[in-house]
Amino acid sequence: MLLLDYQNVLIESLLRERVNGGATANIDQVVSDFDGVTFHISTPESKTKILVSLHIKCYKELVQYGAQSVLEREYGPYIVDPESGYDFSVLVDLEHLPEDQEGKDDLVRRISLLKRNAMAAPFEQAFDEFHQLEEEASKYTSESAPQGVTEGGNVRAIHYREEEAIYIKANYDRVTVIFSTVFREETDRIFGKVFLQEFVDARRRAIQNAPQVLFRNEAPLELQGIPGVDTSGSADIGYITFVLFPRHLTKQRREEVISHIQTFRDYFHYHIKASKAFIHSRMRKRTADFLQVLRRARPEAEEKERKTASGRTFRVQA
Amino acid sequence: MANINWRTINIDALDPDSPANFDVSSLTPAVAPVSTADVQNNAQQIRQLLRGGDNEGALQGALENPPYGADDKGKETHLATVTEILQSIRQSDMSPMLSRIYKAPGGTEALDVLMKYIYKGMAQAAPASNTRNLTPQATGFSQIHSRGGGEGGGQAMSVLLSWHEKLVEIAGPGSIVRVMSDRRTV
Amino acid sequence: MSQSLRPYLQCVRSSLTAALSLSNFASQASERHNVPEIEAASSPEVILNPLTVSRNENERVYIEPSINSVRISIKIKQADEIEHILVHKFTRFLTQRAESFYILRRKPVKGYDITFLITNFHTEEMLKHKLVDFIIQFMEEVDKEISEMKLFLNARARFVAESFLTPFD
Repeated sequence: MLLLDYQNVLIESLLRERVNGGATANIDQVVSDFDGVTFHISTPESKTKILVSLHIKCYKELVQYGAQSVLEREYGPYIVDPESGYDFSVLVDLEHLPEDQEGKDDLVRRISLLKRNAMAAPFEQAFDEFHQLEEEASKYTSESAPQGVTEGGNVRAIHYREEEAIYIKANYDRVTVIFSTVFREETDRIFGKVFLQEFVDARRRAIQNAPQVLFRNEAPLELQGIPGVDTSGSADIGYITFVLFPRHLTKQRREEVISHIQTFRDYFHYHIKASKAFIHSRMRKRTADFLQVLRRARPEAEEKERKTASGRTFRVQA
Repeated sequence: MANINWRTINIDALDPDSPANFDVSSLTPAVAPVSTADVQNNAQQIRQLLRGGDNEGALQGALENPPYGADDKGKETHLATVTEILQSIRQSDMSPMLSRIYKAPGGTEALDVLMKYIYKGMAQAAPASNTRNLTPQATGFSQIHSRGGGEGGGQAMSVLLSWHEKLVEIAGPGSIVRVMSDRRTV
Repeated sequence: MSQSLRPYLQCVRSSLTAALSLSNFASQASERHNVPEIEAASSPEVILNPLTVSRNENERVYIEPSINSVRISIKIKQADEIEHILVHKFTRFLTQRAESFYILRRKPVKGYDITFLITNFHTEEMLKHKLVDFIIQFMEEVDKEISEMKLFLNARARFVAESFLTPFD
């Protein structure tokens, strides 16, 4: 498993089973996802009505960037009032499902992508803004363009974790996505640096069409003056900038691009941890080898045949 | 006075009869004090020999009268002289030259002295690296560090290491033991 | 093995062989105690002159002999901060298992990365030349291990980065 899935696998498998005629039963389950997101799957009224609720730390911000309309578009008739303690709920009635298999699969897929869709709103908004700016900018030459066009839109900040955030900014020729991330310990920081260097280099080396990746410890220029941005330049915080070019922003690709870029932070940290685990197991192996060498220094203890007084031999039970 | 932790005081150090206060200098044979100026004079003479192409004579001269009684500065000067001689002798000449010195009268002593200088020479590189800043810092993004910086003094060390190898072959491990146990340091 | 590594290890080997001439020696400071004199440092006359073997300023071995114990400290090459952290992690990993290594000191001597403490009890129980072999092999493999781990990390980072960016292409 190299790349992370976009959907929540637990919700997906549970719903798929039910929708495809699995035995109905009471459910009451809290499911955790990345970035401190929790889901609550329950059957409050009857076994056939499954309520899926989502709690996400930055829901208020997401609504501000148009999450409501994105979610309405995706879940329309299934939306119900949010369960208390949660931000958003959908209700699936197993007795009123789409007729065909395709519709059922689509419904399962949509619901398992709940987190992705909620987080997608600011991206979609920024992508739309980009198209708008692009159109406006095409009316001018680069010199005569008015301030508002060249500078681009506002920075959209999503504080999706306690200390980490995503910032999105649209310009007339690109969309910039900036992740701020915290390295808990020295090893993470150095491993992270090695990884990020490869992200930066990958574009130069192999994948020419990939978004440009930049990394630095100080907040980038785009984030200057944004409240809540750590400007101390501490080495524990890193800012990773993805510059998405028009070719990534076309209507056909935006779904995929939004899903994919959302997984960056978790993907990145997951592989840092995985490398640490591998190196640890490697050291364990090497240590065992060293012990083997050291053991050779111990002369073989000769097992002498021991006899009882009467001359009978016996073997010590190991 | 009140906040002294009495348990951490090393009482042995305060007891004149304790083995911790054993006077190590009583183990050292008496050595005549040598002034730094004398060492420098000596070094001049040896360099003269070296310039005249008499490497073996220079080496022998340097090992004959090690300045045991000199102060740190004098010892350092002599070390520099010995290292210079060692570096100017070719690898292929090492073993024959050592055998000749070994066979000459007082040869074992001379080789023990040489061994002392080899170890001292290698210890010389040590202090520099402690100050080297290895603490990771935000150094931007150069992962290809110049590995050349880390090999500082590598050339001089490899000369000493080859000398050491040849010397052990001829004088045996006993000469290393004598370096450790001889209280007369160079 | 690289050209300059061989004389270095050879020199460490002969120095260690010479230094590991240990005998039982009871403490002079406290009765019925038998402690490594190099650690106790309570009797200056039984502590011998330390030896330094160095390959360059970042790779060296410091041997501190005494009558009944020898302390061997190794400084492992660290060319950059990745190697630094890998060396640090590896030596920490080893010292936490010092119990099973018998001769490993739980804390390195200042200025070095890892320290071994060999006492006369070790040389009585174990074969001296094999102990020397162990130290030499350790020095060889540690370097190899560190550079392999670094290569692995870079390779993995490259693969991970390319896999993530490929869908954008």
